[in-house]
Amino acid sequence: MKFSVCIKQVPDVAAPIQVRGGELVHDTGRLVLNAYDASAVEAALVLTEAHGGEIDLVLAGPQAGQETLRKALAMGADRATHLIVSEEADLDAATYAVLLARHFDETGHEVILCGKQAQDTDAGLTGAMLAEKLGLPYVTNAVRLEQEGDTLVVTRQGDTGQEVLALTPPCLVTCSNDMNDPRIPTLKGIMQAKRKPLDAREADLPGAPRTRVLGYENLPEREPGRVLDGDPADIARQLANLLHSEAKVV
Amino acid sequence: MSILTYIGIQGGSVRRASLEVLSQCRKLAAAQGLAVEAVLIHPQASDFVAQVQRYGAQKVYTVEDPIFEQHLNAPLVGALAAVIEQAQPRVVALASSEAVKDVLGALAARLDAPALADVSSFELTEAGVRARRPVLAAKFIARVEAEGQPVLVSVRAGAYDAEEAPAQAEIEALPFSFDEAKPRPTLREVIGASGGAVDLSEARYVVAAGRGVRDEEGKKLIDELAEVLGAAIGSSRAVVDVGLFPATSQVGQTGKVVSPDLYIAVGISGAIQHAAGMSNSRVIVAINKDADAPIFNYATYGLVGDLYVILPPLIEALREAKG
Ligand SMILES: Cc1cc2nc3c(=O)[nH]c(=O)nc-3n(C[C@H](O)[C@H](O)[C@H](O)COP(=O)(O)OP(=O)(O)OC[C@H]3O[C@@H](n4cnc5c(N)ncnc54)[C@H](O)[C@@H]3O)c2cc1C
Ligand SMILES: Cc1cc2nc3c(=O)[nH]c(=O)nc-3n(C[C@H](O)[C@H](O)[C@H](O)COP(=O)(O)OP(=O)(O)OC[C@H]3O[C@@H](n4cnc5c(N)ncnc54)[C@H](O)[C@@H]3O)c2cc1C
Repeated sequence: MKFSVCIKQVPDVAAPIQVRGGELVHDTGRLVLNAYDASAVEAALVLTEAHGGEIDLVLAGPQAGQETLRKALAMGADRATHLIVSEEADLDAATYAVLLARHFDETGHEVILCGKQAQDTDAGLTGAMLAEKLGLPYVTNAVRLEQEGDTLVVTRQGDTGQEVLALTPPCLVTCSNDMNDPRIPTLKGIMQAKRKPLDAREADLPGAPRTRVLGYENLPEREPGRVLDGDPADIARQLANLLHSEAKVV
Repeated sequence: MSILTYIGIQGGSVRRASLEVLSQCRKLAAAQGLAVEAVLIHPQASDFVAQVQRYGAQKVYTVEDPIFEQHLNAPLVGALAAVIEQAQPRVVALASSEAVKDVLGALAARLDAPALADVSSFELTEAGVRARRPVLAAKFIARVEAEGQPVLVSVRAGAYDAEEAPAQAEIEALPFSFDEAKPRPTLREVIGASGGAVDLSEARYVVAAGRGVRDEEGKKLIDELAEVLGAAIGSSRAVVDVGLFPATSQVGQTGKVVSPDLYIAVGISGAIQHAAGMSNSRVIVAINKDADAPIFNYATYGLVGDLYVILPPLIEALREAKG
């Protein structure tokens, strides 16, 4: 099967980030491949290694996104498209879905993989929006992906259990990071990635978005807690008392 | 003009989170002179109308079809789109769940409506909706705005209180038709659907296990503690990975968001991706042998020590307290 994986570059949530004057300030400015998209790339690699096929990547975003595309190429994908969007554009999921849909209308597509959500926004909208725009059947929140001949068998994590669904390409699947542990690119992979085709072009922006971020705030602080240290049986009893008489929860 | 709330049904009853959202919509609607409406989509949707009326819906749309026995995205998107076309609301509010996450984007694209996902609060503006949503693994709050009609908003569980306000609702049953020819995923089976146990995202008490719980003995202690409290069992990704706890119990950025009255984190380090799912709990207890574990930054009460030694007397003490 031919896989097209949509990947997004996101700020590293583990790096220090602060709110100053309503804006997010990333001190290190470090950007990484969205963890959920890394799992989508890994899933495509596992299936193409076992059954043959190829993997295209597409990323919409500022110039800096190229680094993330190279990283996913180094994992083993075959080629990449970079739809360049200026840093100031401030697009929303719906506009990214339009950009991506136009791209796939041009290039064609078989299996499109997305992350189930972007690690920075946790919005989780783009995948299903894109599927609807392309008129594709889709499954979200996949925790397992298998190929049976021409059929994709997807296990998705639902509210109370897992649903096993079968679908035939063309189709779209959004991936959870609970699906696998993405491989770390090898030195050889990194060298090869430099020679893989990467087509970069200015994205043609589809009108003004109707959702926007007005600003950022810190979370309200939690009241500082109390640490109980000492004899285990003692602190266990103290806790039971506190839950009852102070916190009044039990 | 109205605000429309989608009422989710899970395990044969209305999700409490949906009633929380309905309660909030009732307040917003009253302040703006709008009607508050609800939609039920289920094989026996009319069975749930009475409950929805108790929370103040003035009009209830029902869509009944056997296809809704299991969650399937294509028919649900179709049914919701049809109801929204009929109701023409200003805002559609949905309590967030995996089922809602599965359809929100497609529904927004089909209706060409702006969407705000997983907000922790929202209000109406002249042009649409303004909301707050946790971002960056819930380390910060983003203030966001959407303009249009309708605006789709999904709301985190626990964002509002469910408050009764009985109303006599008008009921409108809408027909459901579905284009069978359109390609869609086919459901082969549903695995491990949990039945009667306390539902995690709705629970008042949650006992959650992390990598510190390393074997069946530890798991048994977690079960006992949960049983004494009548708590649902949550977990970190680490113990789901090794197969000790089911994936449905995972709390966090990838897993579920919970906000119970009491969250007891046992042997969990408190990585931001875990905290993203529980830091909004009212009282947090952390039990961890490492006094520097980040989970203590969230804890109302932190107990430093070995969980295998602390849990037995804690279970005992709670059993006594409960009498
Ligand atoms: C803190 C913050 C909060 C925001 N909140 C919202 C909001 O509530 N609603 C909203 O509409 N916008 C929001 N935005 C704007 C947001 O950046 C864009 O919507 C965005 O880039 C689209 O992705 P997403 O984060 O919504 O991704 P999601 O919908 O969470 O992404 C799911 C998947 O879609 C694919 N994908 C997403 N973006 C791209 C891309 N640029 N290139 C290739 N593939 C991609 C990836 O596979 C990704 O895993 C927010 C932005 C920030 C910084
Ligand atoms: C994109 C992304 C999404 C993620 N989503 C989630 C998510 O939804 N949920 C989630 O949980 N994680 C998630 N993670 C993983 C997360 O980063 C952590 O790896 C995970 O939460 C760690 O689980 P843990 O605390 O159980 O294990 P560890 O970090 O290994 O912590 C174990 C703790 O147990 C303590 N301990 C050990 N033995 C004992 C004992 N006998 N008595 C008492 N204490 C003991 C240790 O001191 C330690 O603090 C995500 C990661 C990424 C990158």
